[in-house]
Amino acid sequence: MNRRSRVGASLATITGFLVGITAVLSLLLGDNPALFGDGAGADALAQNFALPGAVLLRLLVIVLALSIVFGIANLLILHTRRVVSGRLMSGVLLASFAGTIGWHITQRGDLSLLETIQLPIESALAALLCVTLVAGGARILTRRSDIWGILFVLVVVVVLLGSLPLPELAPIAALSDWLLRIPVQAGARAILLGIALGSIVVGVRALLGQDRSLRG
Amino acid sequence: MPENTLALISFVLTLMVFSYLLGDLPLIRHLYRIAVYIFIGTSAAFTLIVGYESLLLPFWEDVQNPATSWTALGAQADQLIFFTGLLFAALLLLKPVARLGWLTNSILAVVVVMGAAVGVVGALRGTLLPLLEATARLPALDADLGSLLESLLVLLGTLTALFSFHYQATASDGGGYGLGKVFRTIGKALIVTALGAIYASTILSSLTILTERIAFLFQYGA
Repeated sequence: MNRRSRVGASLATITGFLVGITAVLSLLLGDNPALFGDGAGADALAQNFALPGAVLLRLLVIVLALSIVFGIANLLILHTRRVVSGRLMSGVLLASFAGTIGWHITQRGDLSLLETIQLPIESALAALLCVTLVAGGARILTRRSDIWGILFVLVVVVVLLGSLPLPELAPIAALSDWLLRIPVQAGARAILLGIALGSIVVGVRALLGQDRSLRG
Repeated sequence: MPENTLALISFVLTLMVFSYLLGDLPLIRHLYRIAVYIFIGTSAAFTLIVGYESLLLPFWEDVQNPATSWTALGAQADQLIFFTGLLFAALLLLKPVARLGWLTNSILAVVVVMGAAVGVVGALRGTLLPLLEATARLPALDADLGSLLESLLVLLGTLTALFSFHYQATASDGGGYGLGKVFRTIGKALIVTALGAIYASTILSSLTILTERIAFLFQYGA
């Protein structure tokens, strides 16, 4: 890494750190007058604390919105190149994109295209998920037939059977209800706590400039 | 467009997606890919429309109207924020230019760090603190024994499941039969149970959608 790159990386780290600390403090403390006592100026102080966070958030939203526009432009350029090189399937994508934009411009406020194309394909893909999930669940027993694989499949079967409205399956429904109320709740809470702790660690790493993308 | 034509398009697109189940047959295999390409094209277009009409256009109208100010800082501050955002986004396009790396990296740092700040605050306020509060909260002492026991089991279960994530829980017991291994096994069982239930719930949700799609196909076919 040459001197110019090192200076650049340091500048990015310092900028990121200052902006990040300002944003975290502002988002945590702002708009919470209780933190600033009962005095007459507590509301104003809380609003002042919230201001930098709100300004930075709006800046972020504008940059992200434009990044999405650039991303879509990149997608279109890529598929145009593919059409030119003879891969006609990309033409379908470009045509559907152009058709949707054209429809929106000519038929303002009409959502029938969304209901006719977008929703059926989305629902059909989500419906396909059912088949692949069931096939995947069955494959677990052949690929991994240890105690954990068996427990996993057993829980899946109990929860699925427990959801059926059949009086003959009342004991299984009761077992499924107990499973969901205690072991699943405990496990899910631990998973969510793990995700939250992981997010905080990754976020703090980025705030401290330890993220590789900031160092160039 | 007539309603029947719209329904026919939905019908055909649904069948094209379901053709995936027929496997790698000649001609048929292209139907699924065509449907997916149509989906990506329309999704990109709708994302662009929503991004423009719900984010950029309202901000632009806000900037153009000097009578309203989004912050207490005044209309000029709104303009400054908007144009700084535009400038930042435009400068991000210069990322491939190596000589301007110091500038584009600094702007990228602001974007990444802001995302990280929102993530940290969201995880703290939205997940960590409420979940810790809910887990540690014991029922009132006059509650029945059942609910007291349930709360205690959930608390112990959450602790053992968290313990099973811990590095030392796997490294220190060395395959022995210590208390650590018992906690880890119980914790792992709870995690597997939770994942199984989530898997089953996903199957149930997709099954509901599958039923709706099949009902639509039969309804239109009839």
